[in-house]
Parts: sequence; structure tokens; C-alpha cells
Amino acid sequence: MPAVTRWLLRAGMAWLLAGLAGGVLVAGHDALGLPTAVGAAGPAVFHLLTVGWLTQLIFGVAHWMFPRAGADRPRGREALMWAALLLVNAGLLLRLAAEPLAALGHATGPALAASGLLQFAAAACFTANTWPRVRGR
Amino acid sequence: MPPLAARFIRTAVVLLLIAFAAGAWTLAAKGTAAAMPAGLRGAHAELALVGWALQLALGVAYWILPKHAAGPPRGHDAPVAASWVLLNAGLAVAVLGAAAGREPLVAGGRLLELAAVALFASHALPRIKACGR
Repeated sequence: MPAVTRWLLRAGMAWLLAGLAGGVLVAGHDALGLPTAVGAAGPAVFHLLTVGWLTQLIFGVAHWMFPRAGADRPRGREALMWAALLLVNAGLLLRLAAEPLAALGHATGPALAASGLLQFAAAACFTANTWPRVRGR
Repeated sequence: MPPLAARFIRTAVVLLLIAFAAGAWTLAAKGTAAAMPAGLRGAHAELALVGWALQLALGVAYWILPKHAAGPPRGHDAPVAASWVLLNAGLAVAVLGAAAGREPLVAGGRLLELAAVALFASHALPRIKACGR
């Protein structure tokens, strides 16, 4: 298993645990007397599961298992996958911090916009590296 | 990888980009004065969950599930090709319905998605077996 796949799977597993724990806190924030910001983190927590865990798991396994691109670079340009790993996790961390604050009325618009762009850039890096490896024969 | 699996996976990857672009727009609009078309959030969810994640799973399943011992190794292509058409037609209808705020269209699109998955499942179920059988 390539190193970048191992890190994608580890990060995915961490987000899965964080997303499930976040789900408990969002659902129980009233009963537990937690700040309102915790209750406002619902959309961010949902994306920890769908992007942080599911999409990152797909990125990692696809990079590992999809057909080889060629003899010289069997898995394409790995730098693109390292970039996808960094960008998607930076985007998620930024969203996790900014979205609850935005719900409380803080001016976090640029941070949220940057979070979306980082995650889109991660998807673009994954696509650029994966596309040539997806071919019927 | 069989060409039909590649078709599912390539479509899924294209829809990943569109879904994430829609998500980025949603996030940008959330904290700023940027305009966001009505229904963009619903379209983003449909594209990400059905267009990307589900479609990729179907393509990979068609590729890697155990092959049949006799006859075409992955069964006949026609039901799976029809499933791809139904899934993406349903997705297009559901996304347009979400963007237009027309719930009957969303429901109609999801019905097509359901038909696509039922067709795919009927084709894939016989391939879910112990290796070597």
C-alpha cells in the first residue's frame, strides 16, 4: 500500500471518529449544556463523515487499487495525491473552525470560501492523477 | 477494467468536481453576500451522494465482484449499461428539480435512481458469492 494511501486512510479514520463524536455532541449539546456553536456545527460534522471519511477513503483506495498508469509511473504523479491529502484536510479543518462561528454571527465568510476552494482543489488534484488510470480495455 | 466500469467511474469523477464546485459556492455564499441560486444545496447533496459516491461504488462493484464460472464473466452488459443511463438521467432530473424547487421532479428523478440501483442489484446479486464457486 503506497504511503499516501496509508495517510489518506489514517486521516479518514480519524475524521470518522471525529464525525461520530461530533454527531453525539451536536445532538446532545442542549442536554449537555454545551455552547450554541456546538449545535451549529451540524453541517460541518456531516461533511467530516462524507468528505473526511468517505471521500478520503475512496481517494486512498482508488490510488492504491486502480489500474497502473504505466511502467515508469505506475500510480501517476504521487505529488498530486499528497496535495489532495493536504488540501482536503486543510479545507475540512478550516470549515470545522469557521462554520460554527459564522452561525454565531462572526465574519468568517472568507474562511468558509477558502475552505470550499481548498476542498475543490483537492478533488481536482485527485481527478488529474486518477483520470488517466481509469480506462476500459 | 471493463469499459462499462470505466464509464461509471469517469462519470463519478466528473460529478465529484461538479459537486465540490457547488459545495464551494454554497460555503462561499454562507458567510458572505455572494448570491446563491435556490436549490444549490440540494443539487450539491444529490451530485455528491448519488453522482459521485454511489456511482463510483457501482462501477467498482461491476469491476471487482467475483466473475461467473460459465458464460460472460461479468454477466450480460445490457442491464448494467441501462442502469448507468437510468442513474444519470435520474440524477439530471433530480438536480434540475432541486434547482427549480420542484419537488415532483426531484421525486421523479429519485424514482429513476431507484430503478437504476434495482437493475444493477439484480445483475450483481448472483456475483456475490464465495470465490471459486
